[in-house]
Amino acid sequence: MFDLDLRSRKPIYEQLVDKFKELIINDVMQTDEKLPSVRILAQQLTVNPNTIQKAYRELETQGYIYSVKGKGSFVDGTAKKVSSHEVNKIRSDLEKRLAEAFFIGITKDEIYKIIELTYEQIGGGDKDD
Amino acid sequence: MIKLTQISKQFEKEKVLDHISFAVEKGSIYGLLGSNGAGKTTLLKIIAGILKQDQGEIGINKQPVYENPNVKQKVMFIPDLPFSFPQYTVKQMAEFYANIYDTWNQERFHKLHTLLGLDLNRKVARFSKGMQRQVAFWLALCTMPDVLILDEPFDGLDAVVRQKIKNLIIQDVADRQMTVIISSHNLREIEDICDHVGILHHGSFILEKDLDDLKSDIHKVQIAFKNEDFKILEKLDIVHQEKRGSVFLLIVRGSREAIDQMILSHEPVVYDLLPLTLEEIFVYEMGGVGYAIENILV
Repeated sequence: MFDLDLRSRKPIYEQLVDKFKELIINDVMQTDEKLPSVRILAQQLTVNPNTIQKAYRELETQGYIYSVKGKGSFVDGTAKKVSSHEVNKIRSDLEKRLAEAFFIGITKDEIYKIIELTYEQIGGGDKDD
Repeated sequence: MIKLTQISKQFEKEKVLDHISFAVEKGSIYGLLGSNGAGKTTLLKIIAGILKQDQGEIGINKQPVYENPNVKQKVMFIPDLPFSFPQYTVKQMAEFYANIYDTWNQERFHKLHTLLGLDLNRKVARFSKGMQRQVAFWLALCTMPDVLILDEPFDGLDAVVRQKIKNLIIQDVADRQMTVIISSHNLREIEDICDHVGILHHGSFILEKDLDDLKSDIHKVQIAFKNEDFKILEKLDIVHQEKRGSVFLLIVRGSREAIDQMILSHEPVVYDLLPLTLEEIFVYEMGGVGYAIENILV
């Protein structure tokens, strides 16, 4: 299903959480779709089952999945909202990149153009945005 | 569950283990790290019931291990140099194991034979080092142990076999809640599959923790300030500090959020925060107890 970067400094369970979030947010995994069982995923990825359990627990507290006793874990449809933590992170990343852009001499107008172009490409977002 | 309380062991006048206490939960994979001569192998041998502790208590499911065949039925130890009887073939070794362990699984023995592809009728002693180790795993896994104790297990195995063996271990942990204790110097190997680690030095633990907690509690930070304002450094819990030009390289204890907040409030010009690898944690923790890397030119 996906691969982990075992060389990364990022803890494996964090990578798992991020990967699943990505799949859920981008609709690759649909609402109420069953997640692979801990056992099978552990075997496929050669990762400690306890780590996978932990990742699933984290996803559950963050509201991305729900679990049914004896049946497994499923994608929670109500969780398409993005956490405020993530918004803050992207905002600060943007600020950093913009500061770099101004530094090397890209003008304000050029940046506005880039923003408009990107906005059109992804289809404009919500109407009342 | 494995529980050790205040274990001490002495060889002649040399104190090898000094009041060690720790517990390993059922279904957990525990990584035992340590400097050379820290007492890892001695500790593993005490858990496996090969050596008897001088003081303290050890229990596997609350039963003592030493000279207790009932517990030993369910405990499997693979030493750093796997042993087999001279002149015995793999098949004969398997028969020997099948006689001793009630839970021997012949069906699994055949399955692993296909997987590993080693010759059944060859004498174990005539195999190469890595193949002998594969045989040791093969036999050990067929006894369906509840507790698997491994001393430097991946030494001498090629990348493909290593992955196969890890996968087998993980299946058993997931399916049967097998408990595994691994000692290794190859920290990369351990990092992937362990959930808990303990670092042993001179016979006692300097650290014993959940691996993810460990990793999220220590960070590598690179920072530089415009106005050479170093007051912030006093506020952080710094394990290690280096200055390269005007950039500081710090190893800081604390959660990511706390460090972020603290440092960003001082408006750094350069700021990077990275989690540490297990190898780095090991090196810095060892440095903290005076076992540091020194660049000596000889």
